[in-house]
Amino acid sequence: MNRVRNLKLVLWMLAGFGFAVGLTRFFFGLGATTNLGDGVPWGLWIGFDVMSGVALAGGGFVMTAIVYIFGREEYHPIVRPAVLTAFLGYVAVIFGLLFDLGLPWNIWHMIVFWNPHSPLFEVGWCVMLYTTVLLLEFSPVPMESSSAWAKIRATLIKIRIPLVITGIALSTLHQSSLGTLFMIMPYRVPVLWYSPILPILFFISAIGLGMLMVTFESHFTSYFYRRKPEIHLLKNLAGWSRWVLLLYLSVRIGDLAVRGQLDALTAQGWRTVWFWVEIVMMVGAPLVFFSVPKLRISRTGQWTGATLGVSGIVLNRINVGGFVHLDRGAGIYLPSFAELAITLAVVATLALIFLFFLERFHVWEERPVDPNAKPEALPEFDYASMVSLGAPSVASRYTRSLAFILAAALGFALLSDDVLTSKGFESNPVRAARGGDTLWVDGNRDNYGVAFPHSQHVKFVEEILTPGIEITDRENGGVSFASETEVPQYHDKAAICSQCHHMNLPGDQASGCYECHSDMYNISDSFGHDWHSETAGAGLSCFTCHQTGMAKNAESAKQCNECHDDLVPAYAAIEVEQYLAPGYTDAMHGMCQNCHKIHAEEVEKADLGRCTTCHTGQTREVIKRDQLNRWSNVPNNDITTFSSVR
Amino acid sequence: MEAWLEFGRGPLFRFCLVILILGLLRSVVLSLYGMNEALRRAGDKIVPWSDLTNKTFQWLIPVTRLFRKRPVYSAISFIWHIGVILVPLFLSAHVLLLFANGIGIHWWPEFPQRIADLMTLITVIMGILLFLGRVSSRESRFLSRFQDYAWVPLITLTFLTGGLCANLNLSAGSYQFSMLLHVYSADLILMLIPFTKVAHCVLLPMSQYISGVAWKFPKNAGDRVAETIGKEGMPV
Repeated sequence: MNRVRNLKLVLWMLAGFGFAVGLTRFFFGLGATTNLGDGVPWGLWIGFDVMSGVALAGGGFVMTAIVYIFGREEYHPIVRPAVLTAFLGYVAVIFGLLFDLGLPWNIWHMIVFWNPHSPLFEVGWCVMLYTTVLLLEFSPVPMESSSAWAKIRATLIKIRIPLVITGIALSTLHQSSLGTLFMIMPYRVPVLWYSPILPILFFISAIGLGMLMVTFESHFTSYFYRRKPEIHLLKNLAGWSRWVLLLYLSVRIGDLAVRGQLDALTAQGWRTVWFWVEIVMMVGAPLVFFSVPKLRISRTGQWTGATLGVSGIVLNRINVGGFVHLDRGAGIYLPSFAELAITLAVVATLALIFLFFLERFHVWEERPVDPNAKPEALPEFDYASMVSLGAPSVASRYTRSLAFILAAALGFALLSDDVLTSKGFESNPVRAARGGDTLWVDGNRDNYGVAFPHSQHVKFVEEILTPGIEITDRENGGVSFASETEVPQYHDKAAICSQCHHMNLPGDQASGCYECHSDMYNISDSFGHDWHSETAGAGLSCFTCHQTGMAKNAESAKQCNECHDDLVPAYAAIEVEQYLAPGYTDAMHGMCQNCHKIHAEEVEKADLGRCTTCHTGQTREVIKRDQLNRWSNVPNNDITTFSSVR
Repeated sequence: MEAWLEFGRGPLFRFCLVILILGLLRSVVLSLYGMNEALRRAGDKIVPWSDLTNKTFQWLIPVTRLFRKRPVYSAISFIWHIGVILVPLFLSAHVLLLFANGIGIHWWPEFPQRIADLMTLITVIMGILLFLGRVSSRESRFLSRFQDYAWVPLITLTFLTGGLCANLNLSAGSYQFSMLLHVYSADLILMLIPFTKVAHCVLLPMSQYISGVAWKFPKNAGDRVAETIGKEGMPV
């Protein structure tokens, strides 16, 4: 068992898995690949990758302060890995953000277009500047390996103290301003997490987390490289982190006390329990594990305390970032498969880069033994073909790349067809209009709709179609009125209905709008190819519709009305030319606006063609009644708009 | 049957396509990496780069040396390669179903159906001839491994079933079955390419070049050896 090689294999697989999924995010957009939406615009990527990533990188500024500002040189062995972790943490934040931004190629905008009132502007600038500072702080390490860099390296070391001070200042600014972001929503963030001093709380916990993270990282890599962690140094760090976290807890509870919200600590509900889980993990666990002397100097004690503490603070960031107030927004959010895969891939890639630096440069005092470079190691064989793969380093290159492509293929295969054929829009299925004679037209059931008096419209169409009334042929956006020569008899009911209902679905008469215009905003398929071909549906053979000897596409297929002869009613005002139906909103506007505008000119009542004539404030009354009794018929006299204008 | 067909065209196809693309890329990168490593270890100062490049390009022209030894077999193989490469890429049904509907590429050119049918027929015939050529020759039998026998029938099967699906007047009743065979054998082909000898579709120039780099004799190498061992001008 070689721990590092197995770890790297797993990391390569995770990276490959997310690689394919990540590409699809850029090709098909956020709507297709994530569960984010207008209601929940910030999800896992912000909560974990950005909020927690920044916090987890806190080790960088804490350790540089301890070593270079407070002059505790004995901690030098752990400052390099701490700075490296911080640097890669920030790179992860930036990568996570590139996936999350809707228009990632505009990320440079904040450099040019300033909005100094926005906390995000400050966070963005600080992340950018601090990543640069971390790069400059760390780059002397790889520069050691070549004498060509000696001069630059010497300069970087000379300006180290100003760099460290800048780094601490920048960290102070944006560790806290990540908390500031949530001060804008005092009514949304629950009382146990909201605080007017959220920035201060974030900053204090980042200091504690920095120390815990250094401990965690040291034990993590020591396990995999089978080396001794710096227990004697880490035990002091652990001890200090305990005091910082205790300070954090007292400020947090004190703030609740000052604001008179102490009752919330014992209130009923899952949030109270969740709050205590968070506190026990982030403060309680380090307090216990680092206070018992035996545990504090043992590997297990340090490792467990640090892991629990780090997870507790990550939990805190995720909670503030959205978890505890998700139910106060719009709908339930669970990260999609793509979001999880991409997050894991970002972490795995950065971990691989971390291991690369560990093995190639003097990040530790001593370089870890490269497990692949042992001269006594036997050559390895490919088990399938028994071909020699040569030395273990070559063999692991082959296996890791194979693992990467297999995982990438699996990730791509697991994406649903909907994602790959999607245009990146969310689907908003439409439901039937409700009501009796006066219909409540509200396709997506958000209670913003239009009351539609059906019988008045029927009456109006009857009048138009009555012989003797002068009517000219008009064509406007696909709507054409029957010309005088072909005016049907007014008592022909089918002809009257067909002025608006331009489709009769098989077995139906005057089908409802929502049957074909089945999506609120997107073009939808009114044909249903799969239903026609499946045995569970119509079970038709391909060649019932498609011509043999030709490519099977729309051109080689029969027209709908070759089989369904009554699909399009006679005298229909709209001619259906293809099986793709426009979105519900477009269809409604196309149907209503055109006639209303024409009629408004005819009767010289401009209101008839205006949006607010139908989308009225009066509908609020209707909504109220509708909410009391959802299936009630809206009485005719409630809707004065149409009739009064007429 | 329909569910299996959907699986073969959907997730399995995507899986195999990624394996094909990334797998071939991996082979190229790894072989270049290996070449670089071999060069570094050997520490050669003189490598006849231009000579090697010229030779590699000469080997890429299919009608030079091979045709002198077994002209009929080479000609059959040449025609077979044309069909095998072009038909899957430019068949109109593939262009619509795989490229346009599957991965959203709408600008891909396509063959007329009649030409595609003709090329399919020729490819199937050439495939049978190739197989017979391999089996009938003693030298070929001696050199052949399992994959050398299996590849030509596998590809021929895919072309045959594909041709049947495109021309249903030949086999109206067996459409679903032919399609299933076609889709799954094609998926298998895509998946196996990077790991078998068909990887020569991208590795052919690489393997020529890399073995050239590894097994070269620099110009005047003999004279230099003679100089070193103190036997200048003497017959070797």
